Amino acid sequence: MVDRFPGYDVLAKADSESWDAITRRIVAERIVLTERGDVLSDRQRLTLRAVVDRITPQPPGRPPINATALLLERMAGADGEGFRHHRLPPLRAAWSRGLDALEAEACAHHGRAFDTLDGDAQDRLLRLAEAGEASDPAWGDMPPAIFFSWRLVPDVVAAYWSHPSAWSAMGFGGPASPRGYVRLDADRRDPWESSEYVERRGHAA
Amino acid sequence: MGSVAIRRPDPAIRLLSAGAGLVHSAVLLDSGLEHYRGSFRNPAMLLPLATSTVNIAIDGTRLVTGCSTPDSSLRVAGQGGAVAVGLIGMGFHLFNIGKRPSGFGWGNLFHAAPLGAPAALVLAGALGAAADRAHASIISDGRAVGALCAAGIVGTAAEAALLHFRGAFQNPAMWLPVAVPPIAAAALAANAVVRRAQPTTAALLIVTAALGFAGAAFHAYGVSRRMGGWRNWRQNILAGPPLPAPAAFTGLAVAGLGALILIGRVRG
Amino acid sequence: MSSGAVMPLEPRAKDGRAPDVFVPGGWTPMGEHRDTEAVDFAIVGTGAGGGTLACRLAEAGFSVVAFDAGAYWRPLEDFASDERHQSKLYWNDDRIVEGANPLKLGANNSGKSVGGSTVHYAMVALRFRPEWFKSRSLLGYGADWPIDWREMWSYYAEVEQALAIAGPVTYPWGPKRPRYPRRAHPLNAPAALLARGAEALGIGWSETPIATLSSPRGKARPCVYRGMCTIGCSTNAKQSVLNTWLPRALAAGAEIRDLAMVGRVETDARGMATGVHYQRGGEWRFQRARNVVVAGYAIETPRLLLNSASPLFPDGLANSSGLVGRNLMVQLNQAVWGQMEQEVRSYKAPPSLALTEHWNYEDRGKDYHGGWCYMSQGPLPIGWAQTVAGGRRMWGQSLVDEMNRANHSVGLKMVGEVMPSPDNRVTLANEVDAYGLPIPRISFSYGDNEHAMLAHALPFMEQALEAVGAHELWREEEDTCHLNGTARMGDDPATSVVNADCRSWDIPNLWICDGSVFPTVGGANPSLTIQAIACRTADRIAAMGKRGEL
Repeated sequence: MVDRFPGYDVLAKADSESWDAITRRIVAERIVLTERGDVLSDRQRLTLRAVVDRITPQPPGRPPINATALLLERMAGADGEGFRHHRLPPLRAAWSRGLDALEAEACAHHGRAFDTLDGDAQDRLLRLAEAGEASDPAWGDMPPAIFFSWRLVPDVVAAYWSHPSAWSAMGFGGPASPRGYVRLDADRRDPWESSEYVERRGHAA
Repeated sequence: MGSVAIRRPDPAIRLLSAGAGLVHSAVLLDSGLEHYRGSFRNPAMLLPLATSTVNIAIDGTRLVTGCSTPDSSLRVAGQGGAVAVGLIGMGFHLFNIGKRPSGFGWGNLFHAAPLGAPAALVLAGALGAAADRAHASIISDGRAVGALCAAGIVGTAAEAALLHFRGAFQNPAMWLPVAVPPIAAAALAANAVVRRAQPTTAALLIVTAALGFAGAAFHAYGVSRRMGGWRNWRQNILAGPPLPAPAAFTGLAVAGLGALILIGRVRG
Repeated sequence: MSSGAVMPLEPRAKDGRAPDVFVPGGWTPMGEHRDTEAVDFAIVGTGAGGGTLACRLAEAGFSVVAFDAGAYWRPLEDFASDERHQSKLYWNDDRIVEGANPLKLGANNSGKSVGGSTVHYAMVALRFRPEWFKSRSLLGYGADWPIDWREMWSYYAEVEQALAIAGPVTYPWGPKRPRYPRRAHPLNAPAALLARGAEALGIGWSETPIATLSSPRGKARPCVYRGMCTIGCSTNAKQSVLNTWLPRALAAGAEIRDLAMVGRVETDARGMATGVHYQRGGEWRFQRARNVVVAGYAIETPRLLLNSASPLFPDGLANSSGLVGRNLMVQLNQAVWGQMEQEVRSYKAPPSLALTEHWNYEDRGKDYHGGWCYMSQGPLPIGWAQTVAGGRRMWGQSLVDEMNRANHSVGLKMVGEVMPSPDNRVTLANEVDAYGLPIPRISFSYGDNEHAMLAHALPFMEQALEAVGAHELWREEEDTCHLNGTARMGDDPATSVVNADCRSWDIPNLWICDGSVFPTVGGANPSLTIQAIACRTADRIAAMGKRGEL
């Protein structure tokens, strides 16, 4: 889809009053984060990268989003998210098994590794898991549908939409402290907000 | 008429001119900020800026000369424009409030376009016109102008009360513009009725004028108390207490002093 | 979301000082007590219940030590404008969820920091409808509270003052109440759309009474409408326990211990509580106390009571009724979303600036018990992505495309009353956490009443959105919010865990003061009621202390 906010970059405000010191620091650290090699096996990371690309395609024309690196970072940490479906093992174990199982499904259906399949074939396997119809023994007692909706999708989108490129693409204001917003009415925006470029009907600004 | 040029400068006219010019200045800055906040989405939002600028020039000139110019069509146009734009603005603002959810409820009185601001433009235009007709019989006794200034001060105090109520009177000083100016207005109105200028009225008007300056300082302090303070001026100038608003008190009180001089002359 | 990088490694509140939440790098003096000194009150938890109570008990002259498992933050320097980073505020330890509707916990209903979940709450400050305090007798469902609404009304007023609530000049529902201390905020676009929708349907609406400043208060600055309230307010405009009750508590001599996880309440052979075991700085310690207050919210409170079982209390403390952990109540938090032609940009300003309590106060036309309200919404990117991906089963390019028109999305979200059910409960799992403590296992399922309420509420909210021209409507059918009711109060030791004073029936010097004590939840956010109960409890304790009844 066409970029609704061409020319809008949340990062361009990083030196303005919209960003405070701690936000500058953590976002700067985030966008340069690279994929760590000490979480998951090499094969699992290849599968993960492919999965992340299918769940959250990169925004065209913007700096790429390192969602895989962010997700690996999260798996390396001790924190859960405060709840765990009783059919799922802890976060990292769930991912490890889920990626193995997707890889096993790829081998079973196509005789090839998941990451070497084309996008459509990858999507079909993901839909199989989403619908709970994936049945490879590698899933063990972890229901694929629960893994997909409670672990895979929420974790991937949380990583992806923590990146400024994703914020810019959606026209989100981004960090806003100490400077917040003045104009709160519909169809009103502050000069430091995004400007939407879309053919619009009615509602003259 | 040639006679105008040879008149001696009149301190009453100077005070009326200074007052009208100050109110126009407050209107210029206030509507500039507020209509910028409103993104000038309607071109008519530029009108108060234009009319108040023209009138600042008119009133400024008269402040220097100290003399009336009743038959300048340019001035009539400027002052009439201010009154007209102010009246139209009041209509626009009323319409704006009315079409919001809950109409004339408290929330919209607090946050929607204010009625007091365009009213100040009407008032300032009228004061300028009066200053140019200080020798006309209806003006020269000071009573009408005094009543106008008193009404303006009361209206401005009412607006301060509304907006300071919005601010929950979080600083006790916020009671000052609500409490003091109405007393000055009452004294001025009473003097206009009895045709007598009392020194206490002058003192009260001077205090009210001083409050306008103090108010601007308080509002500057208010801006500094917001998140990011003055460093975050792009937000806080707009969202914080309005810096130009208190100057309206100064303007009206100064004009009121002019009116008081005129009232005093009748007996004089 | 890894914690290592963002949590302070060391406790901050120690050596006679605690963080000054209003000053970057600042400190404020703090009284201290030795572990061996039996303090009047050891309070477990510093949120809406524990933090409020710590303040009021300290001000009444008691010696108080309050423990929190979370960190002591200074919002001005520690809170980023960032969802991922701010997950440091939530209770992220594993809890097993099961049942027909397993609860999603974490971000929206629990906190792990000094100040508890009020540090990231949405600040909605509603009073209960008076009849809810006697819902069994007057409305025919749930259980009666052992407290009269008129007494609560005065404590509500106290809390509204303490939090400088910004609210409408007159509130359209319920009995008369004093004017809110601060004026309501301007409506943002989603709130104005709620208002227009309500007016189109002919029901009342109001600016939401909300705990964020609309004018300056001391060192706290008024709200700048940055819209990130639910990930922690970085400006101190939000009036949380962290920057209201706790500074008062410190000034009155209370001690706060941050990063101190209480694992067990100790009881002696006489069946009295003697203090708490807590881990801080990597070692287990024991604080002696004359009274222990458990205020860990509706999951950690029963967990701690169950984990504190002893030979005298083999089923856990205060559990002779068998009700500890039972009657867990969330609130229905379903929503209806749609698209507007206009730009709504709901990321600006607090998320819930307008609401309607119409269906809390109107009983006609309902085929179910209880009430619900709905509010305007302001999701942030990660939360919105998870909502869209989960609610519409979207992923891939369609998800990205949908996200990129978020500025036109608008939603209405309910807070709906859930009936108490003994089968919705907190128990202990076989797994243990990093402290070696058994983790909680939470079972939750909707009953018929919840389904009937949703069948009314969701179509109604759809009408309200349609009335303002929203299109492409869809329902978010799974979300819940708030946690209450696992140690209910009552008049009868057989059917309740604590009495009206939050004092446990079984152990006279063990108290429970948080949302756990709610017999019913109503259709309103609970934080104001929790704080009002804490204020009342403090007054009752002070009165009992004077009479020598402690």
